Amino acid sequence: MSTEATTLRVIIAAFTDFLTVAIHTILYERAIYPPTSFLSARKYNLSVRQNRHPKVCEWINDAVSAVETELLKGVVGRVAIVIYTKDNHPVERFMLDVSRFPTVALADLDTPLERTAANGDRLPILPRIDMEEQFRATLSRLASCSSTLKPLPEGCVFNIAVELKQDGQPPLNHPQPWMPVQSAKGDAVGGQLQKKAVPVRSIAAGELLLECWIEEADGAS
Amino acid sequence: MAQEYTEYLAINVLNEQQLVSYRSLSRALKVHSNLAKQMLYEFHRKQNAKRPGSVHATYLITGTRRPESPSQTNGAHSQEDGGDTVMQSSPPLPGSSAPQHEEDAEEPVSVRSVLLVKEEHLEQAKATFESITGIHIYSLQANGLSDVQSLTECNRKITASYASEDPLQAWKQYGTIQNPNVKRRTQRRGPPPPAPVAKAAEPKTKPLAPTTKPTVLERQASKESKASQESKPASKPTSKPSSAKATPEPAKKPATVKRQDSDIFKSFAKGRAKPKKQDSQSSAEATTPAAAEPEDEPMGGFSDEDDDAEDGAADIDEVPQEPEGKSKKEREADLQAMMDQEDEIMEDAAEAIPDKTAAEEDEGAIDRPVSRQAEEPAKETVTVENGRRRGRRRVMKKKTVKDEDGYLVTKEEAAWESFSEDEPAPKKLKTAPATSTNKPTAAGKKGAAKAGQGNIMSFFSKK
Repeated sequence: MSTEATTLRVIIAAFTDFLTVAIHTILYERAIYPPTSFLSARKYNLSVRQNRHPKVCEWINDAVSAVETELLKGVVGRVAIVIYTKDNHPVERFMLDVSRFPTVALADLDTPLERTAANGDRLPILPRIDMEEQFRATLSRLASCSSTLKPLPEGCVFNIAVELKQDGQPPLNHPQPWMPVQSAKGDAVGGQLQKKAVPVRSIAAGELLLECWIEEADGAS
Repeated sequence: MAQEYTEYLAINVLNEQQLVSYRSLSRALKVHSNLAKQMLYEFHRKQNAKRPGSVHATYLITGTRRPESPSQTNGAHSQEDGGDTVMQSSPPLPGSSAPQHEEDAEEPVSVRSVLLVKEEHLEQAKATFESITGIHIYSLQANGLSDVQSLTECNRKITASYASEDPLQAWKQYGTIQNPNVKRRTQRRGPPPPAPVAKAAEPKTKPLAPTTKPTVLERQASKESKASQESKPASKPTSKPSSAKATPEPAKKPATVKRQDSDIFKSFAKGRAKPKKQDSQSSAEATTPAAAEPEDEPMGGFSDEDDDAEDGAADIDEVPQEPEGKSKKEREADLQAMMDQEDEIMEDAAEAIPDKTAAEEDEGAIDRPVSRQAEEPAKETVTVENGRRRGRRRVMKKKTVKDEDGYLVTKEEAAWESFSEDEPAPKKLKTAPATSTNKPTAAGKKGAAKAGQGNIMSFFSKK
């Protein structure tokens, strides 16, 4: 993979890998599924948890590829992993801000990207080592987040939401993977709850600029 | 000192909310591990005195567990969570002996366990131990540890950040357990010299190739060296002589052709280098550097072998190269003699003493590549020609020597051997080298084809 030129597709592929691992980690940390259903895996030279249930893995993979489709269109502002209680009240949101990804025309998805510094040096578009290191740090922070957050009530469920940029077209084609949700003023999924934001990490590896934080709904019981 | 560790821990554990193990603390502050453990304990005690629950600890307990409570162990790092399912399928890890049920049923075997526990489970874990030989703090973190696996990150960071430190010196400072009999290998290159030789040959060929002016020669050299690499380990000499001869000889079209011929001929024999060398020598004899090169290289081959990989490999290359060079030279001369006068080879052999000696040496050379490969082929040729030829010849013999480090190093040494043979008939001369080359080379077919090709090609080379 390091031999091919870095295109936007490559950047997005790296991000979706990270997203998959992050979802698995969050599921483990917040005990959405029983801990025994997770096995230890290794990613980015870090030991992570991965769910074993085939349906769970399948669902996560499908969701992440739907996110990828939207990312390739360049309309995504943020990706959110939302935890709901049994009554469908959102309790927590794990936010990933992807609005700072490079925007290219659809025809240029596979065009190698290039960046030159002010003095004319060529800068790497996606330095793998830096990226891995930062992903590792983010996942470590996510893994220890559960101790800082309030314990979740029983029977929580999770879902993945995508917030579009201002000018983004909602995906409403026939096999509709996404459900449009009417966003309340000020924030998207989450309603009017008071929120507390806990920063996790911001990643800056070449052109891959990402921010990650956790929003907790104070009002939820 | 006291200020340092408090400050360090305050920054890392409280502010940055990182996990600090005693090992990372000892590496960061350059103190002994036991001292680091004490620092962790002090910090933990003080911080919790100021603000209870601000710092959480993970403990490491070593001791003998009570045999009647095996169900609580899951392996080396048991979490002791309330209601944790017993994972009997996990195999007992070395260092922690999780008692199996069967063992307990038979007899009370005392099991020594090493256990990582979170501080909330400390008392519970201590209760499971019959006697505790050691207990200390393993790591500190600002909030509770959710996943024990995250502790592995500490060790990875240590190996990444402190990889430059030599463990043989650092162990005293850090208190790592050290085996007094351990010592570093002095020789960088491993026992099999051909492997690094072949590898070194390839990078050498590439940098050397661009420097040569005639591109034809370069391509020849690299191509043949690559091919030879696959076949024989003598590719390194290939690159050297080829580059050596290529550099001093700017325009060598006939040489190229000649080289091609002998190269193809020799490609299935050992040491492609030799044919090349031979060609250069035979084709451009006026070029003293070319002639001097092989002389220089063999001379250099006998130098000290205690150099690092490249030099050592170079030396090893030299050593076989030198005899091979001679063999090639002899072979060339002999083959030419053979091709030229098929009926008069005997006379030629009888007349010209240098030819004769060349022929003998050539035979020896032919046999040498044979013997160089293995001693058995050499013996085979001896037995085949036993009682048929006379003279002295040089044979490569292998000696396996135990090195100072205890490694067995196989060296090839040339040894003079006298053998008696009848005056060979030209056919026998032809067939003997053909068969001799056949035997050493694994591909018999190739040998036969090669001999045939050699005969045919010699016609062209005559011109």
